[in-house]
Amino acid sequence: MSSIFENLPINLDDLPKVEDIDFQPIDKKYLKVILIGNFLFFLLLAAGLFALNFFTDELGTTSYLISGGAFLLVITWNLIITFLGFKRKMYAIRDKDIIYTKGLIWFVRTSIPFNRIQHAEIKQGPIERKFKLSSLKVFTAGGQSSDLVIPGLPSETAQQLKDFILRKTAEDGEPTP
Amino acid sequence: MESQPLDFSAPRRQSSVAIGVILIKFVRMTIRAFWPILLSFFIGGRGNSTFQDIIGYVAVGFAAFNLGGSILTYFRFYFHIDGDSIVIDKGILKRTKTNIPFARIQTINFRQNILHQIFNVVSVEIDTAGAKKSEISIDALKKTEAIALRDFILAEKAQLGTVENTDEKEVEEAILEEQILHLRPIDLLKVGISQNHLRSMALIFAFVFSTLNEATEDIGDFLSSQFGQYERYMVDNALFAFLFTVILVATISFLFSLVNSVLKYYELRLSIHKKGLKLVRGLLNREEISINRSKVQIISWSTNPIRRMFSMFTMKISQASSAESGSKGNIKVPGSYQEQITRVISAVFPEEYYQFDSDHKVSHLLKTRLFLFFGMIPSLLGLATYFEIGTDALFFLLWLPIIWALVSLYYSKRSFQLNQEFMKSNAGLFGRSYDLTQIHKIQAVRIKQSLYQRRKRLATVELFTAAGHLTLPFIELEKAQALENLILYRVESDRREWM
Repeated sequence: MSSIFENLPINLDDLPKVEDIDFQPIDKKYLKVILIGNFLFFLLLAAGLFALNFFTDELGTTSYLISGGAFLLVITWNLIITFLGFKRKMYAIRDKDIIYTKGLIWFVRTSIPFNRIQHAEIKQGPIERKFKLSSLKVFTAGGQSSDLVIPGLPSETAQQLKDFILRKTAEDGEPTP
Repeated sequence: MESQPLDFSAPRRQSSVAIGVILIKFVRMTIRAFWPILLSFFIGGRGNSTFQDIIGYVAVGFAAFNLGGSILTYFRFYFHIDGDSIVIDKGILKRTKTNIPFARIQTINFRQNILHQIFNVVSVEIDTAGAKKSEISIDALKKTEAIALRDFILAEKAQLGTVENTDEKEVEEAILEEQILHLRPIDLLKVGISQNHLRSMALIFAFVFSTLNEATEDIGDFLSSQFGQYERYMVDNALFAFLFTVILVATISFLFSLVNSVLKYYELRLSIHKKGLKLVRGLLNREEISINRSKVQIISWSTNPIRRMFSMFTMKISQASSAESGSKGNIKVPGSYQEQITRVISAVFPEEYYQFDSDHKVSHLLKTRLFLFFGMIPSLLGLATYFEIGTDALFFLLWLPIIWALVSLYYSKRSFQLNQEFMKSNAGLFGRSYDLTQIHKIQAVRIKQSLYQRRKRLATVELFTAAGHLTLPFIELEKAQALENLILYRVESDRREWM
């Protein structure tokens, strides 16, 4: 394994490995938050579709059937993805970095070292508030593309994590000559 | 007042040329916002005397508004230095006081348009990284004053610096600079010739159509009314007309990019000094951009087939910026030769590490995947038209060898290289492009896998810096994980300044 990159003075086998970590799942209640959010979204969409069919005169019952069928398919697909994909939402805090994984079809794992974090904040939407959950958002410099959001954390955990990260960032970020 | 050493601690105004500069800015802004209305006044009022009067009043009101606005803006703009920060106090209706500590200042850049050049003043832009909206600019300052201000701030900032303990001698040395690139007229011509002319063509088309679209409600009607009379002629001489159009469009695009390059890159000079790099360029709008050595995140250089004949590259030096893809504060130098790029790299990055052993290819499955998406699927869709147009649909099969050739070309150039200090990503289709970054400048590592990639044990690695990211597609999972672990370790154990 250590011969993958031959010209390095570091032995790759000695490094801490991301693939061996035990990841923490996010709070199960967050699944409900997603489901309620999706439900509201689809409700609006259904209302829109219905209105569209209703005000277009020439279309008969077949158009209701077609759009209804397509709609059901999308909902079913969404449910499957939500349930199966939920297990993939996991995070890990190591000594020097924070890692978040997600994605059923597109698996994504993002790692940010504490000494590269600009700041961190806690966010809470109206549905999350009902379940006493929060999202932790971690910012890096220069644009949004590398920012990281861990949703579905119990509010106290989110607060503790944020304090921990900010402390770590201050400690690790200090440049030493 | 001018002869004595400049004292920035008292609030002061800009050079009075600023009134003109602000006026131009205002006029431009109003014209941009109201030009359809203005245009309709001029067009609609043809041959109507009361209309002409109205136009006159509108023009006078317009001018008065702009002039008044710019004079007020000028008199309500003060700046001064207070301790370790620069303070700007401005605004007519909504007064704002912006306070920027020196420590947060990234770079101080100068810009000159024609008016600035005539009066020998510059506009000063102070750029800070990270927080948005914290960027400030001073519209016009006497050049000597601006340089004094910049040197003062940079010297103060250096003293505040925690990393390097700068003494007087180093500040002195910081001023010394060595020019490494000067775009001579012949080089400028080469740059103009080797621009991406297709891009200029697209720009021209976009401009022409959007303008027509706003001026006339319906382009179709407009075109048919304009060209209706030529229709017979066109049909009779279709080939001639086609060739003529192609040549005309090609010539216009070529001239457009040529003129554009001259305006933008005229008398371009790139120099290195102790603290970093400095670029001066432009004919009508003269700009001066500086980048601190430690702020450089990525150095990229690329070439296209024409530029390659001149053995020239376009070099881009990116620094951390607040904007997502904002090219502000990035240095772009078309017409750099390989040795100049090497000199920049060795000036900015630790040169002793700049050698790579082997080239890591990406998986050959990238080729087949790209072929599937850009070759097979479009071609199949094309073949489906068989039911509409008959055997002519078979021509869509020609698409396959073309795409295969392109994909193979792309694959053969896609690779990456690394050593203990650097990461380099190589790509290119007809040309070539290289991105180089120091590993410790990376701030996030992302591993991505599609279902297909998971089945084949492959992954795509994205490495984010504060100024853009490097992508290494379709790498064996083992390699990707090793990279992830290695980079995280290197970033976490490296305590050098990175932004």
